[in-house]
Amino acid sequence: MFKPEITIHSDDPRVHDFLQRIENGEKIEVDDWMPDDYRIQLIKLISMHGISEIMGAFPEKEWVPKAPTLKRKLSLMAKVQDEVGHGQLLIRVAEDLMHPLGKTREDLLDDLFSGRLKFHNVFHMPALSWADAALIGWLVDGAAIITQKMLAATSYAPYARALKRIILEERFHAYHGEDMAIALGDGTKEQHDMMQDALNRWWPALLMFFGPPEVDGEIKSNQELNIRYKIRSKTNEELRQEYIGKYLPQIRSLGMDVPDDNIYYDENQKKWVYTHPDYTYLRDVIAKNQGPRSQNRLKLRKIGFDNNGWVREALLHNQTVTS
Amino acid sequence: MSNKEVKDYDVYEVFSQKEPTGKFESQYSLLAPNAEVALAMAQENFMRREEIPSNIFVVKRENIHYMPPEKRKALLRIDNKDYREPAHYGYIPSRWRELREKNQPKASI
Repeated sequence: MFKPEITIHSDDPRVHDFLQRIENGEKIEVDDWMPDDYRIQLIKLISMHGISEIMGAFPEKEWVPKAPTLKRKLSLMAKVQDEVGHGQLLIRVAEDLMHPLGKTREDLLDDLFSGRLKFHNVFHMPALSWADAALIGWLVDGAAIITQKMLAATSYAPYARALKRIILEERFHAYHGEDMAIALGDGTKEQHDMMQDALNRWWPALLMFFGPPEVDGEIKSNQELNIRYKIRSKTNEELRQEYIGKYLPQIRSLGMDVPDDNIYYDENQKKWVYTHPDYTYLRDVIAKNQGPRSQNRLKLRKIGFDNNGWVREALLHNQTVTS
Repeated sequence: MSNKEVKDYDVYEVFSQKEPTGKFESQYSLLAPNAEVALAMAQENFMRREEIPSNIFVVKRENIHYMPPEKRKALLRIDNKDYREPAHYGYIPSRWRELREKNQPKASI
């Protein structure tokens, strides 16, 4: 999307002052001077986060018309609406950062349709059964919650403010997902098996959600930059460890297990040892929008965008008349 | 309808008030073609979950004047004005008690 120039090592005194502010734990506002790579990293991260909220509505909304009860349908709709609201909030934050570069929301959508802007791997996956809807609410949202809680401490104030509200709403999402998962996992044998089957199919994608681990603790430049700028505070692997530690006990409480015979907690290392998924799938398939449902969902998004074009135009027309 | 100047929607800042005696609080921003749509979107985007607000207003961001970053630095205050704080006068109730005991011993009240 943009070619970031690495400015963090520059001897520009403004970069030095900026890093000092970050060191001091100060928060950065949209109108503060900031190094180009700080801005670019934020745009990449927040636009991907925002657009993933929007694209994340698709696998879930597929189950709205097919929800087993009216109550489930209503709560699922409320939840999907929240996701779109989160997208709205985050895209505003990205837009304000893009403004000096002359980029708008339309550019973001163009980038999405042309494949330059990625969305999270989990939203490229099919949602085959009602148990998949439950799993998304429970474990996909669970992964998002862990990431967002970490990001809430970010050095960029507008992002932190948006995340505050998002995290508040995610508290409903977490319970909503757990409620669906418990109903199935602790239900009839058929329901239990459905839930286990969904987990078997989703487990590698859930682990991949956090991104590739750091080889021998060595952090890739992107992550290093984001940690140095305090955009994020934990590495991919730290987040994945936290995730397994939180959700594996829940999974096992339902009499289920993850499809990994080699997973265990190593008391000496104080961490989970497990079979890693093939992370090249992220780069070779997901990033190219060649996942099982990538093209289908992009097409849906494009149809929605095109079909609503006349509304956006009509409203703009009204603006010229009245203002 | 491809007038260049109006290609984009405006940024509106949203404010809401929880109760009539409460203060208005900033509630993020949104893009809208006019104030009417901005108000409708504000309700849908930011006030669909928590308790019903008693009022909402929206302002085009271009009409808001923020303090520039350089001036914000001057907002820092030297911490030497505690004489303006009620806590600085915390000794007063016990001082009254002492005075009462000293000057009105065994007072009828």
